[in-house]
Amino acid sequence: MDITNNLYEKFKEKFEGVNGECHRVSTMESLADLMSDILTQKGVKTLSIFESPLSQASNLKEKLSGAGFEVHTDDLLSSTAHDDAGITEVKWGIAELGTLVQIAPEVDNRLCSTLVPIHIALLKTSSVLPELDDMLETIHSLPQIPGFVGFMSGPSRSSDIERILEIGVHGPEQVIAILVDE
Amino acid sequence: MANNELKKEIANALENNVLRGALGRFAQAYPIAREKAFTGYDFEALRDKVQEVKSFAANNIDEMIDQFEKNATARGAKVFRAANAKEANEYVKKVANDNNVQRIVKSKSMASEEILLNESLREEGMDVQETDLGELIIALAGHHPSHMVLPAIHLTKEQVADLFTDYTKKKNEPVISYLVKTARVAMRKKFLEADMGVSGANMAIAETGTLMMMTNEGNGRLTSTIPRVHVYIVGIEKIIPKFTDASYILKTLPRNGTAQNITTYVSMYTGATEAYLADGSKGTKDFHIVILDNGRRNMLKDQKFKQMFNCVRCAACINVCPAFQLVGGHVYGGHAYTGGIGTLLTAFLTSEKTASKVQNLCLQCGKCKEVCAGKLDIPEMILELRQKYTSETGLPFTQRFALDVVSNRKLFHSMLRIASVAQKPFTKGQQVIRHLPMFLSGLTEGRSLPAIAEKPFRDIFPTIKQEVKEPKGKIALYAGCLLDFVYPKIGIGVVSALNEAGYQVIFPKEQSCCGAPATYMGDKENALKSAILNVEALSSEKVDYVVSACPTCTHALKEYKILLKDNSEMLQKAEELDNKAFDFSKLITMLGGLEDKGDGEPLKVTYHDSCHLKRKLGVYQEQRDLLTNTKGVELVEMNESDRCCGFAGSYSIKFPEISGPILDRKIQNILETGADVVAVDCPGCLMQISGGLDQKSPQIKVKHTAELLLEKRKD
Repeated sequence: MDITNNLYEKFKEKFEGVNGECHRVSTMESLADLMSDILTQKGVKTLSIFESPLSQASNLKEKLSGAGFEVHTDDLLSSTAHDDAGITEVKWGIAELGTLVQIAPEVDNRLCSTLVPIHIALLKTSSVLPELDDMLETIHSLPQIPGFVGFMSGPSRSSDIERILEIGVHGPEQVIAILVDE
Repeated sequence: MANNELKKEIANALENNVLRGALGRFAQAYPIAREKAFTGYDFEALRDKVQEVKSFAANNIDEMIDQFEKNATARGAKVFRAANAKEANEYVKKVANDNNVQRIVKSKSMASEEILLNESLREEGMDVQETDLGELIIALAGHHPSHMVLPAIHLTKEQVADLFTDYTKKKNEPVISYLVKTARVAMRKKFLEADMGVSGANMAIAETGTLMMMTNEGNGRLTSTIPRVHVYIVGIEKIIPKFTDASYILKTLPRNGTAQNITTYVSMYTGATEAYLADGSKGTKDFHIVILDNGRRNMLKDQKFKQMFNCVRCAACINVCPAFQLVGGHVYGGHAYTGGIGTLLTAFLTSEKTASKVQNLCLQCGKCKEVCAGKLDIPEMILELRQKYTSETGLPFTQRFALDVVSNRKLFHSMLRIASVAQKPFTKGQQVIRHLPMFLSGLTEGRSLPAIAEKPFRDIFPTIKQEVKEPKGKIALYAGCLLDFVYPKIGIGVVSALNEAGYQVIFPKEQSCCGAPATYMGDKENALKSAILNVEALSSEKVDYVVSACPTCTHALKEYKILLKDNSEMLQKAEELDNKAFDFSKLITMLGGLEDKGDGEPLKVTYHDSCHLKRKLGVYQEQRDLLTNTKGVELVEMNESDRCCGFAGSYSIKFPEISGPILDRKIQNILETGADVVAVDCPGCLMQISGGLDQKSPQIKVKHTAELLLEKRKD
């Protein structure tokens, strides 16, 4: 428990250091409520969800639709091009760097985490690994390397104009991580 | 002559205040940011590993390519081995045509710029869109990249606003966040409409057939996600053996390149993934990997250049290069690759002609080697190229003449004696020459030249009384040109210190110029003549050590064994010389140092590290200790103490317009310390810095450590 807390704290610190926003909930029940608050606060009206174990176990689609948001779970190519936010589940976190790691061979998973201006990533708190090398070993020990593995450390950025750092280029302008204990 | 063209380009770049401002600000910020990024990480250990895994791949390249192809193909990738640019371009064209491709989006790929892929595809009538912000900007401007990682660093936000205004037909304000939004909106459409994506990769893993892309903007992910066809262009040097080997590059490239702990995105593609097809259904995309040779194998054929495969394209070398910081990548580079590494890549991959021109810009200061993630010896390789081009095309007549004279001891020394008399109208009785007339006036712009000494050290030496009770041994003094003919007092200081340490000093009279000027100008023939001459002179009498007070000379003496490696008669003597030759401060320290003594008069001293002493000989603490142990000396460190002073031997004569601003910066750093004296261990640096201070702040003196010790320690 202590280790998980330490890893969470480290992850949060590093993730915020790369302009990410970090939240934590203890139960799946409370996930939808927190999500609703965040979306409202950010003025999100429409969103795409790439369904996953966490999104389904917490009934995200029903609860958010019920709360008045327009939720899309199919035809994601067209919805992610216009929606205000995208929700996907990621497989791991790397505490050392504040990185979210997704296994996303599915095109919709990638669209939902790249094309949208706001990306909300769901992650099991227990899946935060300590270091980059742990992550590489973990991926390497899978039966085969997945077709697409994506590391995401905060929102997109560039310093190409006069070396001034600008957050939000082609990828998401905001990235929110919600870690779920249950 | 190529140099005239280069001189014009340099002049234009130096006048470009926007460019100089941008590069200068970056040069200031980068070292600090980089150090912060590496805090808690062992850079040396990491780059040892980078070198290890990349050299393994280089040494086993055929196996590696086979393995990569096999594993990628097993996962649905179509792998094509392109021997050259033409083959690569033809293949990509075919893929595009076979798939009815009209619109193409690109994420960053330097290899694709190397082979001029965009031009090739546009000839087919296809629309090719660079989506990386910097690449998009320079594409609109019609420029080549001026830096490998920050390609548009030479443009202001006002210039970008104008470019975007033309592009979007809407007025764009010069506010960076608005400009970035413009790019986001404009590119969105392009991504969604694209038939094909083209990308570059940072790593290709042989073990698993995986490609890894390290990016920040998100355009890499979109380019490789949305279009139904995707092509990667990957140079064969990108291949690394194992999946977990990626760790070393993931840890060094972002920190060295942009001082980030990790790039925002690391995208790992193994084989063909899912995409939306032309009919709107989901299926497997048409996935191609072009493995590019285009001259890379030639690097492997040469022992000296094999190490180029260790380059991870972080551009740290460019970020610390004093010459690059002044002129930028349009001058110091080829059409795709820039800076020191860029010169080498250009030589092998795009244009030997361009490389032979721009290699002249390398100061040989060695700073790049210090920060290189792959442990490449960039200055050594550039010198190799310099020697190659010099032997092919010869040196300009005046340079050749000068070097021929210098390697002829009797002729050289006679001319110096004549010069010491002939200089009188220019010295006007002073120890410096402040204004040379007419066509030589450029040589004294911003920096005074020292007068040639009336009595050279070799004539003074016999008059020095050496009182060594119970001598522990004998040391031969190698003077070098500047000490012998311009700064003989340094030699007196060296003898005094060595006497104090208990050693007798001899001066072998047959010694002459160490040959470094010839070496650094690419003239191997004259360098060899000097090597033979000096090895003979310095082995004429048996000694325990050979001391030199000029690190460039010291290094040259130690390297004679390499020049003479095929000369069986001289090789052993040259090896002995290497074993015995040391620079002054190092030798004194090795012999036990000097007693804590000094006149106690307060003197604020700052120290300038000469490039060759610190980076070639690894000596930087010994001299500081000698100074702080001298009573009265207060040592204050200057900012960038090991940044080149701009002398760089013949460089300051060939490119005074670059040497000058580099000197200015050194002087600025010195002034900020408030020191009374600048201590140095190199007569070349001494000449350069004192020449500059003489014209700007003559109250600050520059002294060789040996001279300073002599002055403050004499009873």
